[in-house]
Amino acid sequence: MTTTNDQGAGSYRASGFEGQGTGLTQHSSGNPDRPYDEIDLSTEVFWSGTMDEREESFAVLRRERPITWQPPFEDQLMPVEDDYGYWAITTHRHLVEVTKRPQDFLSGPGIVMDNLPTEFLEAAQSIIAMDPPRHTKLRRLMSAAFTPKQMRRIEDQIKANATKVVDHLIEKAKTAPDGWVDFVAECGALLPMHNFNDMMGVPDGVRQKTSHEMSVMMSWGDDEITGSTREEKFTAIFNALTFMHQLSKETVDERRANPTGDLFTALAQAEVDGEKLTDHEIGSFFVLLTVAGNDTTRQSLAHGLRALTTHPEQRAWLTEDLEGRMQTSVEELVRWATPIMTFRRTAARDCELDGIQIAEGDKLVLFYSSANRDETAIEHAHELDLSRQPNPHISFGGGGIHHCLGNQLARFQIRALFIELLTRCPDIVAGEPELSPGNFFHVVKRMPCKPFAN
Amino acid sequence: MVRIVIDRDRCTGLGMCEAEAAELFEVQDDGSLAILNDHPSPEQRAEAEAACLACPTEALSLIED
Repeated sequence: MTTTNDQGAGSYRASGFEGQGTGLTQHSSGNPDRPYDEIDLSTEVFWSGTMDEREESFAVLRRERPITWQPPFEDQLMPVEDDYGYWAITTHRHLVEVTKRPQDFLSGPGIVMDNLPTEFLEAAQSIIAMDPPRHTKLRRLMSAAFTPKQMRRIEDQIKANATKVVDHLIEKAKTAPDGWVDFVAECGALLPMHNFNDMMGVPDGVRQKTSHEMSVMMSWGDDEITGSTREEKFTAIFNALTFMHQLSKETVDERRANPTGDLFTALAQAEVDGEKLTDHEIGSFFVLLTVAGNDTTRQSLAHGLRALTTHPEQRAWLTEDLEGRMQTSVEELVRWATPIMTFRRTAARDCELDGIQIAEGDKLVLFYSSANRDETAIEHAHELDLSRQPNPHISFGGGGIHHCLGNQLARFQIRALFIELLTRCPDIVAGEPELSPGNFFHVVKRMPCKPFAN
Repeated sequence: MVRIVIDRDRCTGLGMCEAEAAELFEVQDDGSLAILNDHPSPEQRAEAEAACLACPTEALSLIED
């Protein structure tokens, strides 16, 4: 498959990233003769609405036409001439199948729905946009830090951080004139920031900047955050990446001289096939882990608190036995939130998916939000049921080789936060969340909450 | 009697198996998987099967010994 004419990022090629990266990115897809489905999942309006609004379209597709050919996303940051669209995968069973066929459906060519400059993607995606065998070798470098056993080792620290951020939220509420504060800025975003960076080895004081830069970078669909012009967005993205790669290089150099037990040390010392990782490889890993560690769990916390507010009978059931009922509740809140709404794959060869002929080079987009409401896989999928068991949600992935590395960390964090929060602020309520437009992360930008009833 | 078999080329040390059956599996600090007991008891059988199923790279299997 020939690579497309890469319209790149214009002058932003002078970013310092050119010529580096995996070289696997592909923007093209499909052919101009294939007709599009009458339901259009690619409009800007579609992705500026709510999950419930989008679900109306997904429900029809799951029922009547589970795999459809869609036009490229309408509001491309970087329009590409020979990108004719993608196959929309809306059901649970097909999402799982595609996930478990990584030899047919590759991640190397790119894992986001949008077309973005190659240098950006390859400085940010790391192993999430790689295939075996390289994927396997690099992922193994990080695995031990994220296992259930390792999470139990750091559980006291996770709980201490939960206490710290709830302390902070309560402080802010006490000084707010009417008792309302932004849950995201004063609690939800802070917990994963502290836990992830404790592991990574980014000190308090610096971690706020890395979290901020990454949230800005991931908000390319939100004009309020990145500006409305392509130039402003590219500037924001490349500034963020440059900052992260620079910090990574400095930290790695320091850890090679003075190793500690953090993830930066592990990356600094790692060898794959007898070679150390390059600065670019480590920088990209750092970007991926920071985004994955910050911008996902915070969404589960915000959507979760809102769900508890709007479903008082479910909340009452949970609070009868917080410790005993939190495990299934965490799973259900993660299903409900679906922090990552889409991921993309690219066909490695002509192949078939449930009778549909997929051509080599075709993009596919997996719709996690849709699969998490698929009633053929999840009973009463449109109802929040904190006691739900089993819970075959796919928020952490469909069970394939890219399954969320941080799934245990996320679960431990969400559990710790809600136990702390619901114990100390039993009357806390959340107002309506303000969502960020976009087709990738299910972002709650702000959400007012009132920790105390008085 | 069943025995747990691992294909080490496929294992990425994710730890889904450990999450399902912590008495049988443990990911080590170097990312490799330690099988703590490769002959699960009848009581552990269900957990062992769940662990094998949960492995995203299909690195684990149970065979009749």
